[in-house]
Amino acid sequence: MKPPTAERLLDATRRTFLQSSSLGLGSVALSLLSESPAAAGRPADNPLAPKPPPHKPTAKRVIYLHMSGAPPHLDIFDYKPELQKRDGQNCPEKYLKGKRFAFTSGVPKLLGTRQPFQRCGQAGIWMSDAVKPLHAVADDVTVIRSMKTDEFNHAPAELLLFTGFARQGRPSFGAWTCYGLGSENENLPGFVVLISNGVQPSGGQGCWGSGFLPSVFQGVQCRSKGEPVLYLSDPPGLDRKLRRLGLDALKDLNEWQEQELGHPETRTRIAQYELAFRMQLSASEVMDISREPQKVLDAYGAKPGSGSFANNCLLARRLVERGVRFVQLFDWGWDFHGTNPKEDIRDGLTQKGTVTTQAVAALIKDLKSRGLLDDTLVIWGGEFGRTPFREGRTAGGSILGRDHYPDCFSLMLAGGGIKAGYTHGETDELGFQVTKDEVHVHDLQATLLHCLGFDHTQLTFRFQGRDYRLTDVHGRVVSAILR
Amino acid sequence: MAFVRFFTKLWVIVVVAVSVTPQGVCAQQAVDFNRDVRPILSNNCFQCHGPDEKTRKAQLRLDTPEGAATVIVPGRPEASELLIRVTASPDDASLMPPAKTGKSLRERDIAILQQWIKDGAKYAPHWAYISPKPPLIPKTQFRTVNPIDAFLFARLEQEGLKPQPEADRYTLARRVALDLTGLPPTLDEAEAFVRDTAADAYEKFVDRQLAKPSFGEHWARMWLDLARYADSAGYADDPPRTIWKYRDYVIESFNANKPFDQFTIEQLAGDLLPQPTTEQLVATAFHRNTLTNSEGGTSDEEFRNVAVVDRVNTTFTVWMGTSIGCAQCHTHKYDPITQKEYFEVFAFFNNTADADRPDESPTLPFWSLRDFLRKMVLEQQIAALEAELRGKNPEELKPQRDRWATLKKELAALKPATTVPIMKELTGPQRRKTRIQFRGNFLDVGEEVQEGVPAVFHPFPAGWPKNRLGFAQWLMSRDNPLTARVIANRFWEHIFGIGIVRTSEEFGIQGELPSHPELLDWLALDLQRDWNVKRFLKQLVMSAAYRQSVHVTPAQYERDPDNRLVARGPRIRLTAEMIRDQALMAAGLLSPKMLGPSVRPFQPNLGVNAAFGSSIDWKMSDGEDRYRRGLYTQWRRSNPYPSMSTFDAPNRDTCVVRRNRTNTPLQALVLLNDPVYVEAAQALAQKARSSTQTPAEAVTLIFRRCLIRPPADAEVQRLVKLFTDAHAAFQNDLNKAQQFAGKASRDPATDAALTLVASVVLNLDEMVLKR
Repeated sequence: MKPPTAERLLDATRRTFLQSSSLGLGSVALSLLSESPAAAGRPADNPLAPKPPPHKPTAKRVIYLHMSGAPPHLDIFDYKPELQKRDGQNCPEKYLKGKRFAFTSGVPKLLGTRQPFQRCGQAGIWMSDAVKPLHAVADDVTVIRSMKTDEFNHAPAELLLFTGFARQGRPSFGAWTCYGLGSENENLPGFVVLISNGVQPSGGQGCWGSGFLPSVFQGVQCRSKGEPVLYLSDPPGLDRKLRRLGLDALKDLNEWQEQELGHPETRTRIAQYELAFRMQLSASEVMDISREPQKVLDAYGAKPGSGSFANNCLLARRLVERGVRFVQLFDWGWDFHGTNPKEDIRDGLTQKGTVTTQAVAALIKDLKSRGLLDDTLVIWGGEFGRTPFREGRTAGGSILGRDHYPDCFSLMLAGGGIKAGYTHGETDELGFQVTKDEVHVHDLQATLLHCLGFDHTQLTFRFQGRDYRLTDVHGRVVSAILR
Repeated sequence: MAFVRFFTKLWVIVVVAVSVTPQGVCAQQAVDFNRDVRPILSNNCFQCHGPDEKTRKAQLRLDTPEGAATVIVPGRPEASELLIRVTASPDDASLMPPAKTGKSLRERDIAILQQWIKDGAKYAPHWAYISPKPPLIPKTQFRTVNPIDAFLFARLEQEGLKPQPEADRYTLARRVALDLTGLPPTLDEAEAFVRDTAADAYEKFVDRQLAKPSFGEHWARMWLDLARYADSAGYADDPPRTIWKYRDYVIESFNANKPFDQFTIEQLAGDLLPQPTTEQLVATAFHRNTLTNSEGGTSDEEFRNVAVVDRVNTTFTVWMGTSIGCAQCHTHKYDPITQKEYFEVFAFFNNTADADRPDESPTLPFWSLRDFLRKMVLEQQIAALEAELRGKNPEELKPQRDRWATLKKELAALKPATTVPIMKELTGPQRRKTRIQFRGNFLDVGEEVQEGVPAVFHPFPAGWPKNRLGFAQWLMSRDNPLTARVIANRFWEHIFGIGIVRTSEEFGIQGELPSHPELLDWLALDLQRDWNVKRFLKQLVMSAAYRQSVHVTPAQYERDPDNRLVARGPRIRLTAEMIRDQALMAAGLLSPKMLGPSVRPFQPNLGVNAAFGSSIDWKMSDGEDRYRRGLYTQWRRSNPYPSMSTFDAPNRDTCVVRRNRTNTPLQALVLLNDPVYVEAAQALAQKARSSTQTPAEAVTLIFRRCLIRPPADAEVQRLVKLFTDAHAAFQNDLNKAQQFAGKASRDPATDAALTLVASVVLNLDEMVLKR
């Protein structure tokens, strides 16, 4: 696929109306009550119009569950009995030489997990009790234990994970996806971002930005409490009927201008106002989880109005069900340094892990029961791993925490063409190095794009004279995790 | 043989026919290396057969004639390996480019290469690296105001097109005021211009716009995108940063019409000028707008290096229109810039005292006069006491010691009114050595390099200081073929909506070619003459081409949708700041207050914090600070002002040359529902009701305050109908009317209906355009 440049994309919106100006706009009002994408009079060349990928996809949409701060993978997926045996011993010199750590200097002490581990499902995937709810979906997921990144600070690592580059300014995974595939529901944004626990990820809005791609592809932050999309509600005192009166006048005046001066872009603007009018209804509807049966709410642990991660998981399902292409969740509170009891890899982790993965497991089951899991990619993980030793600053205290670690971490994937019940890759007996099947974050990106039907080297955008892509100049598809 | 068949087929289509491509429109032209050939080689071949020897395949380079000599036989396409390879059949492994690259040549590309080789396979230096020569000003049958028109209209003639007549005066008044000041004219001002029968009425109107203080505010906005100006330091916690003095420097420089070369030198090297003034020191904050990483556990040296990289890249993007960043990690794949040369430029910027510190030091303090005097007095008194106490025992002179302690405490409590981070050159042993960094890793370094400029550019004069000052002077030197073109093109882009070089951020080999190369050279030489920005801009807006009506027929539109030939007036969407400022001005709410600390107008609460940082919600400013121009809005990188972001304002993490101009439903939601625009509509409605007698008068006043031009009868009637329908509905529900019209309204049904009218006008397509 050789996608057009920004200018051509924007032109396309304009030019479409030369060809299709008689089509559709009249039907806009009629389709008001309909949510069906086909019923609406959208411009065929709208940059967000759905388009097929160049290759046959196994996934049509993505739900990316990001645990901001980086979960301690050695206490969740990557079981290291040897590390437990050597708990408290000095970290061998060879693992420290030439390395930089965020908060650790000198010789730290090895830290074995305190979490009980067991093999789960028929596949026997290792999982700890910190994520007990996931045990029940073990046969639906792939766990990669050999992830690797280049960055050991949160912001650069998150940017690398989501934009393929550790500095600001590149388009995000979700933006690339919408750029390549468009969206299947024109009444909702194609790329929705939901944040729980009240804190943005360290990489900031760059994690869902459009970089140099047109801004129509950037993630739209929605909220599970309050106004779901900024400026969605009509101003106080103005009802839908009056709004419609105003929009009718707006349309007449704009059409006269278009007739007088002949600029087809005016038609695009008229269409955008009609889309906005419909989005007001459909976004409010989809974001209202109180419409869900109590047993569904209970399964996720969701409570209408709370803004929790569980609510956001349920919303993710509601959004993809309606054709939203990419839903990205950020959950704060995974930076397990041990600076307070919530960051303790014992009880702190068990509490955080149980609440969080209850919703994750419910989401996977829910998608599966609705037949959506087959073509929806679900990813759960952080931006890097955590050290097999105690973090330097907190090593003297009673709370057990780990420092940032880029060389190994674990990630869980499900659906969308990913193997079910599979463990990929290994690290050494102490968890310092990947020993088998390393998966760099660029490889992950290449693989996810492959599932969506793209060759990651071909999904490009020309900017400043260069064809940019999500995987920068790296990445290879990890076919072993594909069905 | 496939090869022979291929050639016979091609002879028919050898003519290089192009529609409105950047390079030109002429139906039949000889093959030109820069225009026709290099883009094919660059896009398809240079990645493996270009300047970067590390990734070069088969030891073949096609970017130089010497390199290509083994595969090209000039005059004999059929004997040239290059052509044999690119025309090999798809199942032949020798086909170039290889299938796995996803690249393939079109028939037209092959025809061009073939003709080029037939003509002797002549290479030419990249156009932008050759100094502009004064072009002949062409003749045209159409009326011209200045040489700009001659270049544009002569081309129209060639194309069989003609310019549009001049736009009406209301349109012109709004267009040129928006372009020069970012704001529409006042109604009175526009009316006076329409009635002015003097021959130079338009010129006087233009001069008035150029003289307004809002001129500097508008053009500062453009520059602040390049300078990646923001009121926060970026990265995870994105803490506030105090650097608004720099923003004010930019505004005041544009208003003072500071020559552009001086403006440049002050920003890049003001601290190295002899006895720099405060203003010149403030100017150096240009490169202190880089991000500072205060996230715990990060290496200051790593992120200091990141900042220096950004300074190098930004400098080359802003002044040279060249994205040099590729060469940070490897020799450039397209432009002949080596990694070593990259770090030679890096060396110029690698010796400033700032080092990714959370306190942003070094900074320049600004004292209030009172505090400044007090500080001087305290310092003197302390010095005197210290002199008195020197050599005395701790038990002696207890009162003096107490007094000393008190004064020290008072001195420490005195804080400057504001500060601004600045550049400060390191001296002596503090100076850093610069080494090549491999793959952009600051810990993986190679040979040491000295300050220098890439060989592809004009030489650095012997004897000039090898520091930032010398570098800035090198940029502004007359021998530099790029900067004047890049800057002229950028001003052109802001006035005409699209650059003569469309890729205004990229003039290198991968950039597009100019649509009007002679015009660009003429403009560059003209600008370089005195670097007089206001004179230059005035020349653009005085041209007959600029003053054309935007009217277009479907056929004309289809032929040139982007208006690259300027066969009609410019028509482009306003920037985020302009859309907001214009609405506030129409409503009579816009504050004229200039300069000073950034302000916090209304924004919806998001209930979210920055990572490791404070809430990104803010406490609204008081009074008129809620209604200041958009460029004074506090710019927080992790959370740019949401409504402006929706209209494509960047978050300013990095230098942005060209903003996108999208058109989305979220923009409609902002203009319809953002309380800022609702408030503007309410204010307009109350103004209209209190100063008119009839609905027709009221809607006309609203319309004119927004769009300047008088509405057509049909427009008035349509808006009156809206008013009447809405009024009837609000009469039936006065509670709702009161809510929508605002608490202050004393005639809620009328005000609410007029508010709806005003909201409609504020949302018109025409309203968000300059046209």
